[in-house]
Amino acid sequence: MRPEFASDANHTILQLDDVGKTFRSDAGADVTALASVDLTIRQGEFVTLVGATGCGKTTLLDLAAGITEPSAGHLRRGSGVRLGQSVAYVFQHYTLFPWRTTLTNVAFGLQMRGIGRRQARTCAMELLARVGLAGFEKGRPHELSGGMRQRAAIAQALAIEPVLLLMDEPFGAVDDATRAELQRMLVDLWQDRGMTILFVTHNIDEAILLGTRVVVFGGPPGRVVRQFDIDLPRPRDRNMKPFTNLFLDVRQALAGGLD
Amino acid sequence: METAKHTENRSGRLISLLTAAAPLLVLLLVWQLAAVRLGRPWIFPPVTRVLEQLAHPLRTHYASGSLLGNTSVSLLRVLIGFVLAAVVGISLGVLMGSARFVRRTVEPLIEILRPLCPIAWLPFAIAVFKLRTVPQLFGLAYTRTVWDQVQLGMIFVIFVGGFFPILTNTLDGVTGVRRSYVLLARTLGASPAQVFRHVYLPAAMPQILTGLRQGLGLCWFVIIAAEMMIGSDSGIGYLLMYAADNAAMDLVVAAMFIIGIVGASLNFLMRRVMHRFVSWKGREV
Ligand SMILES: Nc1ncnc2c1ncn2[C@@H]1O[C@H](COP(=O)(O)OP(=O)(O)O)[C@@H](O)[C@H]1O
Ligand SMILES: [Mg+2]
Repeated sequence: MRPEFASDANHTILQLDDVGKTFRSDAGADVTALASVDLTIRQGEFVTLVGATGCGKTTLLDLAAGITEPSAGHLRRGSGVRLGQSVAYVFQHYTLFPWRTTLTNVAFGLQMRGIGRRQARTCAMELLARVGLAGFEKGRPHELSGGMRQRAAIAQALAIEPVLLLMDEPFGAVDDATRAELQRMLVDLWQDRGMTILFVTHNIDEAILLGTRVVVFGGPPGRVVRQFDIDLPRPRDRNMKPFTNLFLDVRQALAGGLD
Repeated sequence: METAKHTENRSGRLISLLTAAAPLLVLLLVWQLAAVRLGRPWIFPPVTRVLEQLAHPLRTHYASGSLLGNTSVSLLRVLIGFVLAAVVGISLGVLMGSARFVRRTVEPLIEILRPLCPIAWLPFAIAVFKLRTVPQLFGLAYTRTVWDQVQLGMIFVIFVGGFFPILTNTLDGVTGVRRSYVLLARTLGASPAQVFRHVYLPAAMPQILTGLRQGLGLCWFVIIAAEMMIGSDSGIGYLLMYAADNAAMDLVVAAMFIIGIVGASLNFLMRRVMHRFVSWKGREV
């Protein structure tokens, strides 16, 4: 899709050097969400970030999306990684506009770019079919099941053809069978489109199943504890020895990173 | 089974209709009996006389016009004033809600003017606008239409009446918009103007519609009161006062009836609109 990137596997998409983030609470006390995070994400990677609740995962994604600025260190985005253009972000909650239909939710980014109604509609219909929501274009978000909403949110994000896709525990609130389907679909989309994904989860199994690299996050305050390159062939089998070994390693790293 | 249930439903509806209508029927009956017994229709008119007036909405009453004609004058004034109040109230509300400095600048003024009864503005508005009408505003002297009755002063007072509830409700709505929606729109490429149009406005729509409903109700209150003031020459409120001065109490009650029905219809209409547009409210996911 994007030949200028496809040929350049080492192209840096996102680089964090010694990044810290401190919030000042309403009471006036400082909350350090992130302490000294070093992380580099390269073109085409599917990085899964696993960590306990409250360790700063969402804060890290917010920084990557430019929603907040670091209070220490440097955050650099690669060329072609432009906010409001090629960085899509699937939030943990409120991922769709409740007053729009599924179709117009997916078409939102195209509409903002001034793409004509007909063309945006056609494009959104294709995406909806791609994520398995053909026939649901007229429904409102509250009329969809949890899994369908996540599909719609992914389609909405893909509509802007992101170079970098940020996802915050997107499959955290769906049942196991639906999660497995969504995971398969996401891997397919990633392989088809050659985009880079930074995927946050608190589920170790999910992190290993999806990622080309698992970043184990500890805290609070958040920091990178360890990273694991995952070169298991896809589709991955949870019951194979290398998978279960990795699972134990990640779990151990995670436990060690807890304060 | 089906048929039994159907009949049950129908008889149930009939019963509820009867229970709802019963107090009204009793009231009308007592009223009629009392009025006939009293025998002074210029103070207490029988129902039949009122109904007779309502049955002839086009009849001209001396120099003051007909029930229907005056009602349309009032409605036209309300409509214009209300639309202006809606446009200004919603725009300012969204602006104040999304830009903090605008809110800080404008809010004190709003808070001072808001408690002021809209009717209190009338003498001032008449003085400022004289009795200029809408056609005169466009350089037309006299159009021989209902528009000649639409004075700028009246519109101003209606505007004031509708403006504040619309503004405050819009402001509340916009302030309550989830930040997530704004951020989602920004990451998907929306400019600040597009966020205004495609996030703040639709997200605040439930409260905006509540404001519009309250505002329209208030406009209808205000126009009746304003038309009853000295200096007014038309409108259903004017006809009501004129009839009272001429001891035509049957006409007074007929006008009251129309005012009530129009008010209820406007409210009903706004409720329908709300229902249609904000089905998502309270079901955010
Ligand atoms: N806007 C904010 N203001 C103050 N504190 C915040 C804010 N956002 C996050 N935090 C704090 O930062 C820490 C990390 O939060 P978060 O990034 O949401 O963690 P996670 O996503 O891993 O659960 C928490 O202690 C949280 O209370
Ligand atoms: Mg989180």
